[in-house]
Amino acid sequence: MTLSGRDAYRDELTKIAEYNDHILCLEADLGGSNHKFEAQFSDRFFNMGIAEMTSIDMAAGLAEAGYIPFFSTFASFASLRSAESIKLAMGYMGKNIKIVAPYGGVSGGWFGTTHHSLEDIAIVRSFLNIKIACPYGEEDTRRVIREAALSPHPYYVRLSRNDAFESLERESDAAFSTIVNQRGTSKLCLISIGEQGTELCKKMEDMYPEVSHIHLCYVDHSSLKDVIDQLEGLGELFLVVEEHRLAGGTASLLSVLLPNKRVYSFDCGELWPLYGGNHKETLSHLKFDSENLEKRITNLLMTH
Amino acid sequence: MIIDQKLSNIDPLNLERLKGLSKKARETIVDIGATETGCHLGGSLSVIDLLIALFDNYSLNNNNQIVLSKGHAAAALYSVLYVQGVLKENPAQNYGKHNSLLTGHPNHKIKGIPYSTGSLGHGIPYAAGWALAQKLKGSTGLGIAICGDGELQEGLCWETFQVVQAKQINNFMCVVDINGAQNDGLTSHISPSENIKGRFEAFGFHTLEVNGHDFKEIIQALQEINNCSKPLAILAHTIKGKGLPSIEGNPKAHYLKIPHRLKNKWKRSII
Repeated sequence: MTLSGRDAYRDELTKIAEYNDHILCLEADLGGSNHKFEAQFSDRFFNMGIAEMTSIDMAAGLAEAGYIPFFSTFASFASLRSAESIKLAMGYMGKNIKIVAPYGGVSGGWFGTTHHSLEDIAIVRSFLNIKIACPYGEEDTRRVIREAALSPHPYYVRLSRNDAFESLERESDAAFSTIVNQRGTSKLCLISIGEQGTELCKKMEDMYPEVSHIHLCYVDHSSLKDVIDQLEGLGELFLVVEEHRLAGGTASLLSVLLPNKRVYSFDCGELWPLYGGNHKETLSHLKFDSENLEKRITNLLMTH
Repeated sequence: MIIDQKLSNIDPLNLERLKGLSKKARETIVDIGATETGCHLGGSLSVIDLLIALFDNYSLNNNNQIVLSKGHAAAALYSVLYVQGVLKENPAQNYGKHNSLLTGHPNHKIKGIPYSTGSLGHGIPYAAGWALAQKLKGSTGLGIAICGDGELQEGLCWETFQVVQAKQINNFMCVVDINGAQNDGLTSHISPSENIKGRFEAFGFHTLEVNGHDFKEIIQALQEINNCSKPLAILAHTIKGKGLPSIEGNPKAHYLKIPHRLKNKWKRSII
């Protein structure tokens, strides 16, 4: 059975902890009561309680002493409540802390606006030197967690909730490498970010075989600069599909990094997700669905 | 800062030595206060004896770290590092200048400073994290944070004390410089911190109150960490601007730029 991103995270981190005794697992009371890591390595598992800022700053002290702390809480709380601690400890001082943030975007569904996170990538991306990964599916999530554990850089890993996806096939085992899932003949190339963005783009592939589709897992400033040359050769128009706001989203950054191309955004718009409903229904309220993406692609193909 | 704990000798000669270091550090703070930028003078002078005692008791080398969480008192930290010989030149020479690491709040790029502070509250959880790491390693190392009484208004401090209690981080020490004033005036007028001792005790700390300018009391309190099974809070009552008669006890001395013409006169007046 395919695991959701956050289940894959718990499982993979527990596996890594078997051979790396520097790995620590910190939760802010949202990791669930049957945490696999806690069951196997209770001495290296810390439910910090509802104390997000403290968790990040304490993680800095742990990292300074040589440990590799993974701290997980919902994306909204991780990015907003702890923003100053992330800026100082991870951005400015580069402490080797890994944040794993499920409930990215509006995957909290009926839990409401307090639990949604359409601003997190913008916030964390503005603190330079932090790797930001938005893996798609179980295997990519596992890759990212392995890469984070090996890397000396601070990480922010944005996950969704309980949806499970099969990752796209990669030529290499590194999630850093981009995936060109479809090379079309038109000028347009879709760039998919994260689980829902990639799901939508996959649905468009059969309908628009002339449109290229590239999937990016790492979306921090530095990682995007690294793939600019590859993107240059894939089209003249780019439509970035991302469960996020436009402001500070990946499209807004790529539009600056690709000054000779036209970069558009298919995002979650300017509404607050006020209403109940599951993840898909909440996305539809924000007009982030296949119907609206189809209209957008058709319009771009017709007008360019 | 990697430092090594040693038992303090509280003999009179040692106390005189510490007083001498303290006076030299205060002179350096005045030098920094007389630079183009000035500095957070009042709080640097109130915390200086605590820093001198801490850095003398936990001198350079193993598993302890000292974090000045009230980072606006950077002038005091730089001065102590200077009189301890970690900084080789008087920090006033380059303080605040272009291309100098001696910024107005502690800079982690400087030897002896483990964490950049100044946004209040953060040094406390950092030191607690360091202490937790030492426990995990089976080390006897300590995490030591020095904060201000105004700083305790930050919720992050109490969030951390809650975690320290919950995780039984008993090798953590919090030293509070209680000088009674903050940026905009008296702490008692802005947000009174009543019964700090009771608050710390409620969070599971072994709590001691000392005169923060009396080395004998400070050192005796520091040594309590070896004798108790709880985290240690040292509530040090201090005087803002201590040692400079012209500003001593004046809450308006929080940030000052000392006129250059007064620098030597003020240095001579240090008590």
